Amino acid sequence: MASEMMALLKPISKIGYYGSSTTTTTRTILPQRVFSTVIRMSAATATTTTTKGSGGGKNKKGIKETLLAPRFYTTDFDEMEQLFNTQMNKNLNEAEFEALLQEFKTDYNQTHFVRNKEFKEAADEMQGPLRQIFVEFLERSCTAEFSGFLLYKELGRRLKKTNPVVAEIFSLMSRDEARHAGFLNKGLSDFNLALDLGFLTKARKYTFFKPKFIFYATYLSEKIGYWRYITIYRHLKANPEYQVYPIFKYFENWCQDENRHGDFFSALMKAQPQFLNDWKAKLWARFFCLSVYVTMYLNDTQRTAFYEGIGLNTKEFDMHVIIETNRTTARIFPAVLDVENPEFKRKLDRMAEINSKILAIGESDDIPLVKNLKRIPHIAALVSELLAAYLMKPIESGSVDIAEMDPQLVY
Amino acid sequence: MSSMKSLCASAVVNVTTARSATELRQSTKSFPLLSLSQHLPKLITTATNISRRTTTSVKATVADFKSSDPIEQEQEKKKRYHFLVANAKFMLDEEEHFQEQLFERVRLFKERNMEQDFWLVIEPKFLDQFPDITKRLKRPAVALVSTNGTWIKFMKLRLDRVLLESFEAESLEEPLASNPAKLEFENPNKWNAPYPKYESGWWESFLP
Repeated sequence: MASEMMALLKPISKIGYYGSSTTTTTRTILPQRVFSTVIRMSAATATTTTTKGSGGGKNKKGIKETLLAPRFYTTDFDEMEQLFNTQMNKNLNEAEFEALLQEFKTDYNQTHFVRNKEFKEAADEMQGPLRQIFVEFLERSCTAEFSGFLLYKELGRRLKKTNPVVAEIFSLMSRDEARHAGFLNKGLSDFNLALDLGFLTKARKYTFFKPKFIFYATYLSEKIGYWRYITIYRHLKANPEYQVYPIFKYFENWCQDENRHGDFFSALMKAQPQFLNDWKAKLWARFFCLSVYVTMYLNDTQRTAFYEGIGLNTKEFDMHVIIETNRTTARIFPAVLDVENPEFKRKLDRMAEINSKILAIGESDDIPLVKNLKRIPHIAALVSELLAAYLMKPIESGSVDIAEMDPQLVY
Repeated sequence: MSSMKSLCASAVVNVTTARSATELRQSTKSFPLLSLSQHLPKLITTATNISRRTTTSVKATVADFKSSDPIEQEQEKKKRYHFLVANAKFMLDEEEHFQEQLFERVRLFKERNMEQDFWLVIEPKFLDQFPDITKRLKRPAVALVSTNGTWIKFMKLRLDRVLLESFEAESLEEPLASNPAKLEFENPNKWNAPYPKYESGWWESFLP
């Protein structure tokens, strides 16, 4: 189970859980599972090569190789076509999809992503380790948004015949993702870098998920993305002294896109109640929640510099995001984790600690065989923590439209 | 109701089709090796279609709201109002994203010179017509009322724990009439967010 989980952990990080530690983490734990891909980075301009602090010097080479964690998904498009074939599937709540389509056509953020000169100025001012961390943050977020773009775009294309409404929603969501990715990539250009997305498209390993897992994973990743972005935005609004880079000012409107994308997956799942209403669905729902929360926690606790750099306490930030995402997810998943139980956080903290030990072994001077042997007990400990967290008493949940709710439910 | 259906989407596209094309081109410009020519025109085409399909609905809606003119007032018929309702604590205190959505929509309507077609109504009088709802409702209750049924349907998907209904009314007064109620929410006993809660009273600008 743990290896399955670790394999799942990575692709879910749609919103850059910055820090190449995802790759490192996963590779460290399960060497055989990792297909690390080299992302080609090219200097945006050949001109600015004067060293600007520690970050600037590296760009002189023109090409920088980086390991990026967010993976690209692909799915069974034929099954998708069947699931949303309006002739074959009478459960489709067409009014709900029509309403969503209108919401996406409205295009709230059509004119939102316009840059100004603050970006370049802020990038130039950023020096030392913080500069590196920001570059990493932009790279990972851009890759993640871009991976959403590719998947949604393909789904939009493939479903056009069988379900034009759902297909158009996918296309409009890919519009949003392209916009987000483009905006982040422009941010990278302020650091004299650019992600070569065309190369990425061809060179990345695609992770296959069956449609039902795409729904769970993408729903969670959109909703957790919303909560991460809005939390950062509201925190910085209250504490403007940490506003070190203007991109955060765009997060309030930006994350409303993420939230709407999540709503769409919610509607997709409601249209396929078999993914929501049996015991298997409950087990999968808990599994995906745990995967997503643990991934974020382990990644972020390895990259506290970023959060501290913008004035956040990493663990408090993560717990807040987890609790809120879980509350949101309880509106649709048939079961969620009891994340507000203090024992859940204690388990996460132990996992983070074990993870640090595993990483430390990777950085030691031992030969690979010795490293692997040394890791075994820690991996076993991590697996047992994961299992224990998975088996904690869950919370029954679900949409009031689907779940067998008490008819006495009071609103 | 059908005339209201796509009010906001249509207006959006009418005004800004040309700009949206440029915008898209700009925002996607940074994918060096992607053949943009493939997906870009498609999105633009979509936008144009929308505008064609729903131009009339916009006009109808604008007319509906300028009812000071006696001739137009005469033309005004019964209109359908759609609403979502739940207890005030849920609507105004717990679901903070709800507030963000309302402000986002107000911003959009302003940007596109559209007349606001949604309101928050505290303890709405029209609830008396819905005994099936009131018996399941904690009080005080708050309703989100709009002439745009499609949008209300979307909001139902988002908020989930709300009840949805609609009714016809002769004038705007009826759906917006409210009974006096005192809204006071206790401070949450544990507030773990790294930011302050939205200030109480945010909803006042959405009251009729």
